[in-house]
Amino acid sequence: MRKRIVSSALPLVVVVVGVFALARMTGSPASLYLPLNATDAMRADFIAKNGLDQPVLVQMFDYFGGLLRLDFGTSLRTGEDAAAMALRAFPATLQLAAMTMVIAIVLAIIVGSAAALKPNGVLDRFASFVSMAAASIPDFWLAIVGIWVFAIYLGWLPTSGVMGAAAWVLPVATLVMRPFGALVQVIRGAMVTSLSEPYIKLARSKGATEYRVVTGHALRNAAAPALTVAGDLTVGLINGAVVVETIFGWPGIGKLMIDSILQRDFAVLQACVLLTALAIFVLNILIDLGYALLDPRVRPAAGARARRKTRAVTIENEPSEPIEPNVPTAASASV
Amino acid sequence: MFFASKPGAPVTRTRRLSMAVAAGALLGTTVLSGCSVANSSASNSSGAAGAAAGDTLRVVLQQEPPTLEACESNLTSTGVVVRSTITEPLIERNPTTGDLEPKLATEWTSKDDTKWTLKLREGVKFHDGSDFTAEDAAATIDRAVNSKLGCNVEGYVFGDDDLKLNVVDAGTLEVTAPKADPILPLRLSFLEVVPAETSSTEKVREPIGTGPYKLDKWEAGQSINASAFADYWGEAPAFPKANYQWRSEGSVRAAMITSGEADIATGLSPEDNIGDLGVTFPNNETVALRMHGDTAPFTDIRVRQAVNYAIDKEAIVASLYGGRDKAAAQLVPGGVVGHSESLPVWPYDPEKAKSLVAEAKAAGVDTSAQISLVVRTAQFPKIEELGQVLQEQLTQAGLNVKLKMLETSQHLTYQVRPFPTDDEGAIMLMTQHGNQAGDAAFTVDQYMTTKGAQSAFGTPELDKLIATADAATGADRQSAFEKVFSYQNDNVVQFAHIAHQTGMLGLAKTVNYAPNSSTSDELRLAEVTPAK
Repeated sequence: MRKRIVSSALPLVVVVVGVFALARMTGSPASLYLPLNATDAMRADFIAKNGLDQPVLVQMFDYFGGLLRLDFGTSLRTGEDAAAMALRAFPATLQLAAMTMVIAIVLAIIVGSAAALKPNGVLDRFASFVSMAAASIPDFWLAIVGIWVFAIYLGWLPTSGVMGAAAWVLPVATLVMRPFGALVQVIRGAMVTSLSEPYIKLARSKGATEYRVVTGHALRNAAAPALTVAGDLTVGLINGAVVVETIFGWPGIGKLMIDSILQRDFAVLQACVLLTALAIFVLNILIDLGYALLDPRVRPAAGARARRKTRAVTIENEPSEPIEPNVPTAASASV
Repeated sequence: MFFASKPGAPVTRTRRLSMAVAAGALLGTTVLSGCSVANSSASNSSGAAGAAAGDTLRVVLQQEPPTLEACESNLTSTGVVVRSTITEPLIERNPTTGDLEPKLATEWTSKDDTKWTLKLREGVKFHDGSDFTAEDAAATIDRAVNSKLGCNVEGYVFGDDDLKLNVVDAGTLEVTAPKADPILPLRLSFLEVVPAETSSTEKVREPIGTGPYKLDKWEAGQSINASAFADYWGEAPAFPKANYQWRSEGSVRAAMITSGEADIATGLSPEDNIGDLGVTFPNNETVALRMHGDTAPFTDIRVRQAVNYAIDKEAIVASLYGGRDKAAAQLVPGGVVGHSESLPVWPYDPEKAKSLVAEAKAAGVDTSAQISLVVRTAQFPKIEELGQVLQEQLTQAGLNVKLKMLETSQHLTYQVRPFPTDDEGAIMLMTQHGNQAGDAAFTVDQYMTTKGAQSAFGTPELDKLIATADAATGADRQSAFEKVFSYQNDNVVQFAHIAHQTGMLGLAKTVNYAPNSSTSDELRLAEVTPAK
């Protein structure tokens, strides 16, 4: 586990260094922050005041020195503490992501399981169509159509904003589509496979109810691949529900990050990236832990490598038999 | 049971655990985040759907102001909230007549255009309860113009020059310019007055002013709330409260008007589906192409003239902008001192354009050299389409034009000196110029002089004409600037003018407001009244 933590922490540093250097390659922010006809003296003042006249390496050294003192720098745009801005925006995104994933997982389990009961049946085909559509509709289009239909035409929901429970409906509904679509396919695939396993037949022959078979046995086997995909999807959501946050005026980190990039607000951009990378790092650890709990063979001692190998494979009942890589859908749907 | 007895953890226990972990990984994020973030914790509900508008005026802007610092209020996103709503200037320009009118100063006089004496209004209070005096007026000017604060207004309006300030008594202030400055009162109209105690070393995010509304609460990322200032010296505004929100998507701002969530929406275009709730107004912005004369083929004036003949301005206005914009003959629209009504719009003549290019080619100019048409994405509605139309029309004239779409920051590097030396040939920049000040000096000094920050080239003769115009007053000033504009069109041709634009505001049926040419820069909430 310690190795795993170290190996996931390394990319964190790489990301922060990379963003630091890349942001500065896009040019000086002076032209954005000074009036177009600013004098040369004003320009020089601005550049010196913000340390932008130093070589990038010196700037980076200063920045990391600041991080050690928990000084993340000051926003060029607002003059506020960069870390404070990022920390203020982050919970809004986390809440949106958590709400979205809970709903997506619950819906996907219901629809995916129901579809798997009769492969190629009417319900299965319908679920397949719906999930494919859900996973491929562009957020932007969905958000705007949602506003037209539910806020303007029907008048049931607010167009945007963050006031009250109703304000959550459209952003969450927009965001839920992609993870729902992807997860339905993963769960359905895994369920179809496990429902044809000998132990299911045995359970049925012993008189277990269909409900018990599905929820008790098959679903448990499908949980591991679903967790992997759900983890990736959550990372995607945290990384920026940029479009949704922008359209609905949701004060999250995705919107803040985009604004910071466009405004060359280096300190805020770096704070956002660092915070997001940190969250993803923690999330990955949590997924690993969850995985270990789901699959006893992948206890932390087995290390990351073993986990990777067995990740897509569920082994519970017949360890002596050759293991089939039985969840191709997990890989194909995790795009 | 058979299954439970197989190797591995007992199924039932593990299953519960797995569910718990999966849910926990997600919900944990919520718990960690502190639970009370983006939802109903907000103290007011005026932004919610269906909330009674009643006593709150709800405005939806394009973007959150980065700061409300008074000395940054000639940034559109700051000024639209601050100017003449939260803070007030000494002198105010009437956007319709162009006349200067008293605000915190009641009169201003000068014998020599250098030393100006201002009489200040009595009985004015700041939002913190203190009295407004000449000390505050002097500190405001000193802070914005003479300090190292780097205020936007300094470079834009006052340039390098410092002003000398002399407080004669509580109600009288003398301002002395380094050289005669006939439009000093106009320049002063850009300064929003703050108390003398305001820091002169740090910018202030939330200003204290004398305006009809005082700032109550700025919930970063969400909204700004203000309320009518009880001790306001003037007439009390019609709405006791005001609420600002921001949405970057135009169609969402429009939707907030049609669904009754907001009363005023700024920065709309007809594509935003606002229907008959959209109100258009001349917004002082002019679109033009600036040609850099240092690289072929723009080194030859015939090519620059050809560009002007090749562009079908009337067709562009009619087809892309629904006939609301107006074909332009100069960089400033009507209403700005120096705008010439008699200057003709350059005629559309594609044949003449072709023959001028051919003439230049015969004279040895490399007319096949590549031209980069540099355009800023999303600067105004349909700008991408406009770029394509221009590329097509210039290609028809025999020029080799490549369209280069850039985001704001990159575009700005082309806008101001020193210009990048483009490896993709000659540069032709699409600019959108707004003259908020209402005087052509603010345009021509930077866009047309030989060394102007936003001027690619000029001529000594034009520089002379501009210097004369800058120093002129009254009717002379008007005709001197008219001369500048017609000289540029006849002898310099740095620009191909396209159109004077119109702005659009979304107005709910619940409110009355007449937008004017400065609405985009200062939305005076005190001028808004309930419809009934």
